[in-house]
Amino acid sequence: MSKKLFEIISRVMNVSISQINDNSGSESIPEWDSFNLYVLLNEIEKEFNIKFSLEETLEIKNVGDFKKQLEKYGVNLNE
Amino acid sequence: MFGEEKLSTYLNRSKLLSNVDCENKIRVAILGSFTLNGLEETIRVKCGDKKIQCSTYIAGYNQYNQEILDEKSELYKFSSDITFLIIDTRNVLGELFFNPYSISVEDRKQFVKTKSDEIINLAKIFVNKTQSKLILSNFVIPTYSPYEINEAREEFGLQDMVRALNQNIKIELCHDPKIYLHDLNSFVTKFGENNVFDYKQFFYGDVKISLDHIPYLAEEFMGYVKAVLGLNKKCIVLDLDNTLWGGIVGEDGFEGIKLGDDPIGRAYVEFQRHLLALNQRGVILAINSKNNFDDAIEIIRKHPNMILKEDNFASFRINWNDKVVNMKEIAEELNIGLDSIVFFDDDPINRDYMRSAFPQVLTIELSDSSSYSQILKSMNDFQVAKITNEDIKRSKMYLDQRKRTELQKQVGNLEDFLKQLNISAKIKKADQYTIPRISQLTLKTNQFNLTTRRYQEEDIKKFASDDNKIVECAQIKDKFGDNGITGVYIVNKENKQEWLIDTFLLSCRVMGRGIEEALLGQIIERAKMEGIKKVKAQYIKTMKNKPAENFLSDFGFIRNGDIWVFETTKSIKKPEHLVIS
Repeated sequence: MSKKLFEIISRVMNVSISQINDNSGSESIPEWDSFNLYVLLNEIEKEFNIKFSLEETLEIKNVGDFKKQLEKYGVNLNE
Repeated sequence: MFGEEKLSTYLNRSKLLSNVDCENKIRVAILGSFTLNGLEETIRVKCGDKKIQCSTYIAGYNQYNQEILDEKSELYKFSSDITFLIIDTRNVLGELFFNPYSISVEDRKQFVKTKSDEIINLAKIFVNKTQSKLILSNFVIPTYSPYEINEAREEFGLQDMVRALNQNIKIELCHDPKIYLHDLNSFVTKFGENNVFDYKQFFYGDVKISLDHIPYLAEEFMGYVKAVLGLNKKCIVLDLDNTLWGGIVGEDGFEGIKLGDDPIGRAYVEFQRHLLALNQRGVILAINSKNNFDDAIEIIRKHPNMILKEDNFASFRINWNDKVVNMKEIAEELNIGLDSIVFFDDDPINRDYMRSAFPQVLTIELSDSSSYSQILKSMNDFQVAKITNEDIKRSKMYLDQRKRTELQKQVGNLEDFLKQLNISAKIKKADQYTIPRISQLTLKTNQFNLTTRRYQEEDIKKFASDDNKIVECAQIKDKFGDNGITGVYIVNKENKQEWLIDTFLLSCRVMGRGIEEALLGQIIERAKMEGIKKVKAQYIKTMKNKPAENFLSDFGFIRNGDIWVFETTKSIKKPEHLVIS
């Protein structure tokens, strides 16, 4: 589930996939600061070929938020 | 180079950097008027890849003014070797960026004058207070104007303002050896403003160079780092078939190869044109190709569309020998290190073989011939701190060298060969004409260099005005031509009894012809005439200066700890086959 998303998060945030869940965010992932979050947003946009709006960008606080936004764009995370 | 890694790759790699194996060190400061996160990490990783240990200092966001003006700032405490200053057009123009026509033409001109002066002044203050080089990015010319199609009709319009700002700064600062003007405007043009400037990133965090482009900017900046450290490549070694022309001469024949007016042929002609321009600027070219010599040389000599001629190449290895062996021979013949060679070969097997045998050779990844020119243009490995006359004459010098080697082969005996060369050495003091070259030689001479002390132009200038130092260089000529300034020495007159040779080096082009003995002998003679008892020297071993290892002992210096001493009462070696003036 959500393999591709988790792989990107793991790569950018420098954490193992097993440590990532929907609640992961700045509290559980040490590297999750505003800059790395932005790098992550940018790379997710590129990987899934979508563009978040500025408002959507600001709503994302954790991994679950990423999933919600991606689903909104019709990305099938179960692929 | 061409095609970059993701920024996150650099960010992660920056955490794993170790400084083991580093051969060079550099301290880099970055000052910007906007967010440049990721740039510092990327530069450190790129330095690590080149075995450079890089320490960085990032000034606070938009703090460049205070940092430069305050002598006690962290910036000065950090004491960088190289400092990048990037100021954004928006920061300088303020509200005028949006509505430049809210003020009169005269006011716009005055505004630009004031801003130019501020920046010029800031740059001058900085370089006067530090040893650091300053890399000042120019201002990006806006592509949008509220006057749209009428922008061009306006006298001193928005774009003119930024152009004038860039031009004023260039005129004032381009001759300062400590300042380089980085063309940020061309960087943005190359990638396109719509790609480099991303509104969302800008609103989110004042990012004005998008995250995807930070690695490319870092790569451009690496060109300055390499130039300041003197890590430039000196020579491009080229394969022939499908590298300098399309097709295989041994199969397709003189008429069959593609070089000229067809789509494939044009790609090779274009590539050769860029190579020729680099050659004329001082990059040496050589050939390493598996071919019948006669077939290949006929194309080089007679093909009407061949841009590079026989005389553009300093060395040929066109044979059926192992390419790695050929490469080693080329390096020896040209007297350059393998690490100053770039290798172009279309065959992936040859490339892999070269990489595994000589990882220090920069072997370039090639695929489609239409991209050769772009790959060459995107390389920042040939940058030198300053292009000197010697650079421009270098290709001719290596050609002369090839002829010398041919003579040596004919004569056979070294002594007779040296006699026939008619070598003369003209000693020149450090002055405005020779200082750039003296500094350049200290920065890049690795092999025949006793102490490998690297000196920037301003260091040499300072030494030259010091009465207790001798800073001189030697211009070497022989019957084949002028080698230019190829020897440098710096002597400290320590006291009335003793002199210490701080620097003594000879370019590899003229090594091994008795010039080193003649120059050293001449220093000692002078010391003796001035009543000096002892001339002291040092040999500081590096990875590369083995050729100078036995020089002092062979000359008659006696070792005393780390210092080598020559008593001036001893007889002084004097090679007879050359004239010093």
